[in-house]
Amino acid sequence: MNTRSIRFRLAAWHAAFSAGIFVVLAGLLFVQVRAYLETTLFETQARRARQIAETLVAQLPKGGEAYLGRQIETLYAPELGDRFIRVTGPDGSVIYRSGPPADGSFDPARVGSLHDGGSVKPTRIDTLSDGSKLLIASFGASPGGRGTYWVEVGTSGEPVDQLVSRLLILLGLGLPVVALAASGGGYLLVRKALAPVEEIAGKAEVITQHNLNERLPVPRTSDELERLSIALNHMITRLDVAFGNSKRFVADASHELRTPLTIVQGELEALAKDTATPPEFREQLGSLLEEVERLARIVQQLFALSRLDAGEANADSDVFDLSALVVGTADQMALLAEDKGITVSKDAQGPVFVEGDRSRLKQVIVNLLDNAIKYTEPGGSVSLRTEIKGGLAILEVSDTGAGIPAEAIPHVFERFYRVRGDRGTSDTGAGLGLAIVKSICGAHGGKVEVKSIVGNGSLFRVSLPLSEKTNPDSTAPF
Amino acid sequence: MRILIVEDERKVAEMVGRGLRAEGYQIDISDTGEAGLATADASEFDLVVLDLGLPDMDGLEFLKRLRIRRAEVPILILTARDATKSKVENLEAGADDYMTKPFAVGELIVRAKALLRRGPANHTQVRRVADLEIDSLRKQVKRAGLRIELTPKEYALLEYLASNHSRVVSRTMIMEHVWDQSFEGLTNIVDVYVRHLRAKVDDPFPEKLIRTVRGVGYRLTEEGAA
Repeated sequence: MNTRSIRFRLAAWHAAFSAGIFVVLAGLLFVQVRAYLETTLFETQARRARQIAETLVAQLPKGGEAYLGRQIETLYAPELGDRFIRVTGPDGSVIYRSGPPADGSFDPARVGSLHDGGSVKPTRIDTLSDGSKLLIASFGASPGGRGTYWVEVGTSGEPVDQLVSRLLILLGLGLPVVALAASGGGYLLVRKALAPVEEIAGKAEVITQHNLNERLPVPRTSDELERLSIALNHMITRLDVAFGNSKRFVADASHELRTPLTIVQGELEALAKDTATPPEFREQLGSLLEEVERLARIVQQLFALSRLDAGEANADSDVFDLSALVVGTADQMALLAEDKGITVSKDAQGPVFVEGDRSRLKQVIVNLLDNAIKYTEPGGSVSLRTEIKGGLAILEVSDTGAGIPAEAIPHVFERFYRVRGDRGTSDTGAGLGLAIVKSICGAHGGKVEVKSIVGNGSLFRVSLPLSEKTNPDSTAPF
Repeated sequence: MRILIVEDERKVAEMVGRGLRAEGYQIDISDTGEAGLATADASEFDLVVLDLGLPDMDGLEFLKRLRIRRAEVPILILTARDATKSKVENLEAGADDYMTKPFAVGELIVRAKALLRRGPANHTQVRRVADLEIDSLRKQVKRAGLRIELTPKEYALLEYLASNHSRVVSRTMIMEHVWDQSFEGLTNIVDVYVRHLRAKVDDPFPEKLIRTVRGVGYRLTEEGAA
């Protein structure tokens, strides 16, 4: 999982935020519940203390202390109700104190004195020496002006502690559940929201200069993603127009250059052939004509490239055997190699059927073979190989020539690129031959790669899709 | 014989006209499609040389309208386009041959002559240039009565030079006839073959028949000929 992805980060933030809110709410709930339970308990105790003070303590002058004790036992049964009741006289003497409760939750003898910590508080929590807690409410009464009698009623704080600790456990268990649910839910939600991004990115990956007419999918969601994809599509449109303009420029320029070239060539030829032209001028005219021819060739190649860019390569498409074409082309060029003392070997592993423009693919072979011969020293060798490998038609042209420096390799298929220190003495090319090879391969759904070691030679490998029709005869009517 | 040139580029028209006039043809030049059709209506022509990039109408449109008037006249198209598609379209629309700019006037003359003859170069069985004999039926070559063994490519090259006897043929023309257009620009292959051909046909003999016209091409002609 990519921890930098928006999906992950949003889900994590969502989970952390949810968990934080949960913790705050749980804390508040915990404090509130505890306070509420204690208040309620205190109220009950206070009510009882007041009842005892107003009814029983008021009768003290009449009935006496023993009577009070009996009355409390009878009416309130503090031991059975797990309650603590204590009545203290004005002189601080304990008039009555209830016995140990039935559940043994506290020891009445250990309860601190009424005046612990100064004045009498209406409510207090008394932590006994054995650790048990008692919630105590006090109420004072002064029957017949004999000073203040204090009635204390208390109950164990344990049930409250138990309840809140159970609540705490519950909330503690809830936290991971909430965090998990928040992160999971958030992740799914974000994934769903970002699904169009994946789609847009996937499509954007495959758009190159060759399919700029294609567009990204636009999610019809009226949201930011829709805006983004529309904006990207507008950008692709502008790129398409810019590319189109530059392609058209090359096509138009090479087109417009043709007529003046025709005139220059024609007039120079007429002069060169004219017997009245002095021989020394004819030499110069010949040199001019050679340059015109070179110019015409560049114009021609640029035009061919612009046509390939426009996707017009496969005007004449048929199924044929690449091996046979390679062998035939190599034979036609054999003398070129022989003349330079270079041996050409052909290794055709049976028929390799491809579908495409035969004359254009022949140009691929011609250009690669011509290059190989051009850059190989006399006595070297050039070999051609065709085979079917990995479901592709493979053509390899290798030589034992000068090789291509590593830094030049990424550029050899670029237009007008020439390897520095290129000693092509008779080379009148403009560095368009390999660009044409690449364009033709690309137009046929294939590619061309090069490997080279300086001083050892180069290997150009063309791979093309195999024809689905393996036998050209099968396309002919019976 | 009369040839109509329909071309809006005055210099190209004049250049082509001059070349054809030198071969003894009568030339008319029109610089628009409308003018061309009017001229074609007014007189009979043996050949029309048509530039497809006319200012006033599409070249193919002109071709169709001309064909309605003159169904038989051969048409040679000049085009600045060379898309395979337009080549097919041109021939389907009724052109007899086409040439892509830039072209050599010499080649245009060769093609024009072929169209005027209404067929390929003459079918003479045996051609003679000085003491060189080329038997196109047996594909045999003799010089001074001696058999010369040639490879098929060398033979094709020699025969093409001989069929254009004493006319300069450009390397591009040789390329297109003896090889094919995939070799376009690879003119050094022509030079290599010519050298090999010379080694067999010219080198053993005092009279040299294959001449180089620098920057233009080659020609096969008797010594002393202009």
